[in-house]
Amino acid sequence: MSLSERIENLMMSVQKPVRYMGGEFNAVMKDANGVDVRYAFLFPDTYEVGMSHLGMKILYHAINARDDAWCERVFSPWVDMADLMRRDGIPLFTLESRTPVREFDLLGITLQYEMSFTNILEALDLSGIPLRSADRTEGPFIICGGPCAFNPEPLAPFVDLVALGDGEEETQQTINLYKQWKAAGLPRSEYLRMAAHIPGIYVPSLYDVCYNDDGTVRSVTPKPGSGAPEVVKKALVKDLDSATYPEKLIVPYGEIIHNRIMLEIFRGCTRGCRFCQAGMIYRPVRERSVEHLMQMADSLVSSTGYDEISLMSLSSGDYSCLPELAHRMVERFAARRVRISLPSQRIDTVLTDTLKETQKVKKTALTLAPEAGTQRLRDVINKGVTEADLIRSVTDAFEQGWSAVKLYFMLGLPTETDEDVLGIADLAEKVRRCYFSVPKERRAPGLRITVSASVFVPKNDTPFQWAPQLDYETVVHRQQLLRQTLSKVKGVDFKYHAPDLSYIEAVFARGDRRLGDAMERAWRMGCRFDGWSDQFRYDLWLKAFEAEGINPDFYALRPRTTDEVFPWDHLDCGVTKAYLLREWEKAQRAECTMDCRKGCTGCGMKRYGACEGR
Amino acid sequence: MRALIRFGKQPRLRFISHLDLQRFFQRAVNRTGLPVAWSQGFNPHPVMSFGSALALGWTSEYEVIDIKLSAPMGRKRTEDAVRAALPEDLPVYEVRMVDDKHAAPMALVRMSDYVVRLEGENAPAVLEQIPVFLQMEVVTTVKKTKSGEKEINARPLVVEMEPLEEGCFKTRLMLTESQSIKPEMLVGLLADLAGVEAPRTHVHRLALLGLGPQGDPLPLMTL
Repeated sequence: MSLSERIENLMMSVQKPVRYMGGEFNAVMKDANGVDVRYAFLFPDTYEVGMSHLGMKILYHAINARDDAWCERVFSPWVDMADLMRRDGIPLFTLESRTPVREFDLLGITLQYEMSFTNILEALDLSGIPLRSADRTEGPFIICGGPCAFNPEPLAPFVDLVALGDGEEETQQTINLYKQWKAAGLPRSEYLRMAAHIPGIYVPSLYDVCYNDDGTVRSVTPKPGSGAPEVVKKALVKDLDSATYPEKLIVPYGEIIHNRIMLEIFRGCTRGCRFCQAGMIYRPVRERSVEHLMQMADSLVSSTGYDEISLMSLSSGDYSCLPELAHRMVERFAARRVRISLPSQRIDTVLTDTLKETQKVKKTALTLAPEAGTQRLRDVINKGVTEADLIRSVTDAFEQGWSAVKLYFMLGLPTETDEDVLGIADLAEKVRRCYFSVPKERRAPGLRITVSASVFVPKNDTPFQWAPQLDYETVVHRQQLLRQTLSKVKGVDFKYHAPDLSYIEAVFARGDRRLGDAMERAWRMGCRFDGWSDQFRYDLWLKAFEAEGINPDFYALRPRTTDEVFPWDHLDCGVTKAYLLREWEKAQRAECTMDCRKGCTGCGMKRYGACEGR
Repeated sequence: MRALIRFGKQPRLRFISHLDLQRFFQRAVNRTGLPVAWSQGFNPHPVMSFGSALALGWTSEYEVIDIKLSAPMGRKRTEDAVRAALPEDLPVYEVRMVDDKHAAPMALVRMSDYVVRLEGENAPAVLEQIPVFLQMEVVTTVKKTKSGEKEINARPLVVEMEPLEEGCFKTRLMLTESQSIKPEMLVGLLADLAGVEAPRTHVHRLALLGLGPQGDPLPLMTL
């Protein structure tokens, strides 16, 4: 029986068989014998999550635009499918051609989230690929990219290459190099040595890590004679208008998380929120022109048939030509019944005339993220919004006929006190009053306020990389305090989670190479899909750390001194450590830093020559 | 004006549910660029309907979708546009333009032809029961309905049935709201007669049929 038939036999017995089906409209099929390089792209989560991810779509398109390479998709099989595949000896396969992953030349993996790391080990094992880079003598080279690539150290033993920064060009270079390497018939180790010269490519195995007696890192240096750079600078696409972007998107059969056209209007963010890793590592801001976006939208609407375009970026309200763009989009696509939407709205830019226009069709819940409950703490995190901004936004919204508001906060931010937490309840109460201040005949019935409080995870490459995560007991205390206080505010739904998952995330976010063994042990004990609360096994993680002699508090809860060498210091994400440190010190004084569109704040991006730095 | 489109569902796509296929066609219809008619009301959508739902796991060469157009359109242009908007595993076989008065395909369907392939060692024993079944006048069985279980006579629901090579048989089954039987259920009855466990089945739809002017079964697209 062919592999394809064996896969189909399993599909009758698993949840959501469309996850493994392939054959979607616009999926790219090529003759496997007609290409030089076969590239498998793994998104280490379910199909529905991975298919909603823009970066994967961009790289899939970029690679498949070449005649000499074929990129195919792989997703983590859900636990039911993975168990059946193991039982029947079915190797992990690509969706397009159903070829075993181990037969590919390159395996690209995107690291979106620390809690998907065990899924990478699971995928390698299901593929029949040895987990450790050092044990591999054949099979694909493993290349990781995405936001977590800026601290890939916990994964260092398992991956071959790490791609820092924008993937559009560096991915092509890894493919070009692979062709050269293969044609020259060189040993496997040579590909790694040569790849270390590609801008943005980091090869963990070419570096030595030394530790101090207290367990902190003393240094990370290239191995003598390896030729690897001391500091790896991220790859940067300077002009997005000339960068490749898909003209076609795969249209899935089943429902996925974001089933619509995603149009990236710009990359990077200038706000400088101190907790936000994306706001640091994706600098500088690079906008696409309105003209280009209109063209992209046109071809995507025609090629997909989607009825919604989402204008994507880290802070879409900051797009310099947003009113013009939104107006032209609405005008262009109204007749074709295509909706325009703006995700993750910021409260200071949210209810412009533009948005009123784009929200013509549907009044979904208004989503706002004040992040902290008091002005003092919002200043600490440099979230440049005030209570007055929030009040104005929600009042406007209630007057326009919205009745549902979602408010997002974080608990455990640096310098937070009980008073800041009570400030959240206070804000919720004020939002409620705003609603009732609108005359009954003008407001929509059924006020719903959702307050969501996640547990803050300090991330590498942010000003809060020096901060400890708040300890478990205090988090629980503040969650309960907030729950009790909010229970007195009518019409508020409070959402929060046990802090254990955020704790493990914090361990890995600022982890080092020594965590690799614990990660492998946790996976062998059964950890996978750790980001899914129904699969997450805190008990197993703690056991794995203990067995490997790792104290997770060292990574999650330890305050760092300002002169500490971090495991990721040799990876240049664009902003400098000096800038981050300045921001960390200002945070402790609750001093704000302005949006750098209003004047250069000296983050270090000028070194890349891609930032106007006014 | 309406377009009746006959298309197939290849093995690769047999795991798409009917609901997902409906959603898929909403987007596919947008891709055609055809002047599709939209429903009125709070949540407008393209006006279209299917001849019959295909169960999860089945393949087919005779699915019919009926799409309403808001302006006249040539058959060839419609066919080309629809073909370009569908993946290769949903091949388009024929397109027919009809006027708005033409009955909805769903209302015309009376029967369906299938080829059923049986897997495993019980297949020959099950196939041997086909002539036995056809000679019976009453085959009593229990059918699950919305309102509970109901005792029915399955025999008149099976219009024709004949064994083929390699563990397959061909059958024509009733397919109306009040009278219908699924191939899997029929295989279960044959297996009961043989006294064996029902084998795993692969169902492929060959045709949807309605009744011609003389009450004779004819393929849906010809009516």
